[in-house]
Amino acid sequence: MKPVGNLRLFFTVALAVSALFGQRVEVDEFTLDNGMNFLLLPRKGDPNVAAGWVAKVGSVNERPGVTGVAHLFEHMMFKGTRTIGTKDIAKDLATIQQLDDLRKRIQAEETALIEKHRRGAIDDAKNPENRSTTHTALIKSFEELIQQQRELTVKDEFDRLYTAAGASGMNAGTTNDFTIYFINVPANKLELWFWMESDRLTNPVFREFYSERDVVHEERRLRVDSTPTGKLDEQFDSMFWQSSPYNWPVIGWPSDLEGITREEALEFFSIYYAPNNITAAIVGDFDVERAKALAQKYFGRLKRGPAALEPVRTREIVQQAEKRMAGYAETRPTVRMRYHTVADAHVDEPPLLVLSSLLNGRTGRLYKSLVLEQKVAAQAGAGVNGLKFDGYFELSGVAAPRHTPEEVEKALLAEIEVMQEELVGERELQKVKNQQLAGDFRKLRSKFGLMMQLLSYEALGEWENINLFSDRIQAVTPEDVQRVAKKYFFDTNKNVAVYYTKDGATPPRGRRSGSAGRTGGGR
Amino acid sequence: MRRRDWIRTAAGAAASAAWIRADDLPAHPRQLQFPPLSFEPPSADEHRHDLSGGASAYLVEDHQLPLVTVSLTVRTGSYLVPDDRLGLAGFTGSQMRSGGTKTMSAREFDEEAAFLATQISSSLGATSGRASVNCLKQNLDASLAMFFDMLKNPGFDPERLEISRTRTLQGMQRRNDQLRSIQLREFSRLMRGNNHFTTKQSTEATVKSITPEFMRDFHQSYYHPSRFIFAVSGDFDTDDMIRQLNGALADGWSANAKDPGKIPVSNHAPQAGVYIVDKVGREVNQSHIAVGHLGIERSNPDHIAVGIMNDILGGGGFISRIMSRVRSDEGLAYSAGSSFRPGTYYPGLFQVAFQSRNPTCAQATAIVFEEIDRIRSEKISMLEIDTARSSAIEIFPRFFATAGQVAGTFAADEYTKREAGYWKKYRERVADVSIDDVLNVAQKYLHLEKLVVLAVGDREAMLVGNPDKPDYSFDKFARGNEIHAIPLPDPMTMEYPDA
Repeated sequence: MKPVGNLRLFFTVALAVSALFGQRVEVDEFTLDNGMNFLLLPRKGDPNVAAGWVAKVGSVNERPGVTGVAHLFEHMMFKGTRTIGTKDIAKDLATIQQLDDLRKRIQAEETALIEKHRRGAIDDAKNPENRSTTHTALIKSFEELIQQQRELTVKDEFDRLYTAAGASGMNAGTTNDFTIYFINVPANKLELWFWMESDRLTNPVFREFYSERDVVHEERRLRVDSTPTGKLDEQFDSMFWQSSPYNWPVIGWPSDLEGITREEALEFFSIYYAPNNITAAIVGDFDVERAKALAQKYFGRLKRGPAALEPVRTREIVQQAEKRMAGYAETRPTVRMRYHTVADAHVDEPPLLVLSSLLNGRTGRLYKSLVLEQKVAAQAGAGVNGLKFDGYFELSGVAAPRHTPEEVEKALLAEIEVMQEELVGERELQKVKNQQLAGDFRKLRSKFGLMMQLLSYEALGEWENINLFSDRIQAVTPEDVQRVAKKYFFDTNKNVAVYYTKDGATPPRGRRSGSAGRTGGGR
Repeated sequence: MRRRDWIRTAAGAAASAAWIRADDLPAHPRQLQFPPLSFEPPSADEHRHDLSGGASAYLVEDHQLPLVTVSLTVRTGSYLVPDDRLGLAGFTGSQMRSGGTKTMSAREFDEEAAFLATQISSSLGATSGRASVNCLKQNLDASLAMFFDMLKNPGFDPERLEISRTRTLQGMQRRNDQLRSIQLREFSRLMRGNNHFTTKQSTEATVKSITPEFMRDFHQSYYHPSRFIFAVSGDFDTDDMIRQLNGALADGWSANAKDPGKIPVSNHAPQAGVYIVDKVGREVNQSHIAVGHLGIERSNPDHIAVGIMNDILGGGGFISRIMSRVRSDEGLAYSAGSSFRPGTYYPGLFQVAFQSRNPTCAQATAIVFEEIDRIRSEKISMLEIDTARSSAIEIFPRFFATAGQVAGTFAADEYTKREAGYWKKYRERVADVSIDDVLNVAQKYLHLEKLVVLAVGDREAMLVGNPDKPDYSFDKFARGNEIHAIPLPDPMTMEYPDA
């Protein structure tokens, strides 16, 4: 590959680099007595504030039986509090308790049906005809009680208060490692955010728990079950992680989504939503001193939880042999290759990211070699996923017509070998660093985006990494790239998934109808 | 085990803490006092400049970061492509960026942009062409030179065209895989018919017919300064930028630009009823449903009231009636909502969309029908109108949150010929919408008897329904008529087998 461009351009960028090195995100950080941490970053611009907080808990903190609870819990945080969402809190709480009791009895009936199904005594545990009369009566009482509860609730008051105030983009997200809650509020309504967020951390009430559990199950069907490769992707994740709790999906296994109880969600809250496990960030048009006073006033009432939580104990066991899977899906013929690497905060993460950038994009090695020159792939890419406790590097490619995923796999491996054997050229490395530097500015354009990044960095390590990370990328040498290429890319550390194209015109009809009753029967 | 004990202790502590409330905290957010927030929208005239060759530009300086963005909208679109060359517009737009220029090979162009860390893009959609450049201020001259080289002298490298064509044809085979894309395609056909440019689909034959010459011809016909509107934002000096743009616009452009004519409207009359695409081939335990009919144009002065009405019905997120009932009351869907976007060139669509597990699709659809009926027959509450109006008014500054949004909004307004002063009067017009207005527009623009129901998924399982709720069935929406089957087309020819 011949270098292109000219000296003039090179110097222009070298100049840009020196100017850019001064760029720092200057955060005013402070911590309340209860351990809750705040990252404050005033920014000029429109009269708006992006605000959010992150609880350092995700699916990695779950255990079998309650997989998906971190995410389900996130949904429940929008259901109101002792003040918000109710006309009569005492009656409301009593009804919730009655609902839980009924649910427990219904669940016992369901467990009995599942047991019958396991023994082959019935063909479908979800078919109403198989229910006992008690079971049917319990369901009826439950539905009647839900109707009564609706009289007591002020529907979606949490959402309505924010919406009427002109807040926007309110939502939350759950990952393997953290749960993040975010919103934009008009600059004059900052106190509303403090009121609402501190209230739901102090007094949450999990109304509509069981219908929300069904919503999450629908979310699973939408994201996983009914997409062409959703279930294969899930299997690949589970194959990749052998002992680590990253092994199960954030959305949870279907059986657990049908079984998690409100009590289990509350337990989760009391452990992981203590203020000393939470960091908040505010970016935008606000006064720092006032924000600090409001933080003390509203969040100061939260009670510190037990001392620092133990990091997740079960670590990934060292892989001993290559793992492979091959499946069929309504998708283009694809290969995915994944190697165990390091957690997000590890010193090898920057060179691994540089390595992926060298491979990616219109001028990346994979496109030039696999797509343009060998024409073996229609597209190809690489990516790093640094999680809190572990991480991986993935290469993937879609086979071009008349080529196979196996040929793409070979070509990807050949590019890795080049990385292991030859040092990357200075100009090619500089290109990646230039892009990183420009990217450092681009990521500052959105106040909302900046708030989200601060919280993500903080959840995976510490927010300062938003600044340190840039320097670490700029310091990466050709030798570093070669070193990590040799260190992580070897056969017994490899996991491969091959997806062959399944033709939609020839459905495995028998299997589909056979399981329709099972998969179609949420509660 | 010890861990579980510890959990219980902590849970007990949290429960008792729940009753502790600092005395000085307002008991409810209603009691909070907020300082007034005054915001006046920027004015288009302040930022507008006429450029050489008949182009115009909106320039908004913002010196917080050393970045500059130049976005271009071009008066053209895929509606100008003849039927036997469908796909030509999209290819022309993307190959302008991918195929190099007359003086730089595709690879040289890519390498130089990458080294400068300059992002350059080009695309061509249904009713406009778009291109943009984003770069560090230090690299502005070099980046603008590349950007205008692409716009004036695209190379249309045949090798890059072949790569893109191969990938497009490979993707074309996968047209019937995603429930969502099937739903979008078929609902659009039910609304606009088969002969509108928005529903015509490229095929293997039309994509294979595309040559660099056809792309060059399309480019030469429409990429001309008289069709250009720029939106420029970031760290630049307005006078310098105008000089630079005028310099680039002065010469080197096509001499035989064509008139882009009028954007065609559709004369199709949608037929109410229930339509099902039976999607088999893998276990599909959830189906995608769309319910709707034709809507209104943006020129209709009722569109503000219609927007408020739709917010309350299903457009306003979690508090909207459809979301509240389908999702949070019944747990039947993850996302459920409606849109009633006025059309710029012809009537837009009213559309409700959601996904639900197969047995509960009919129940969720029934709720949607009930809610459409209810908003047509009963006045909405004071709380609902207050929330909808206040949300629309309070959120207004967000439309102009960044320099890029300001420039982009004004450029889009000029392109679509939005009435002057629209934004100045916007909040006033929202505040004027009354409960009676909402009822009036609901009755005027929502029509139960015209609703088209499209379901994409497992037909058999949907029709069987939910054994726990036997009252709900698709037959009711069909009103005694048959439930129409829409077959999946051959993805390469887009020919539909007989149902």
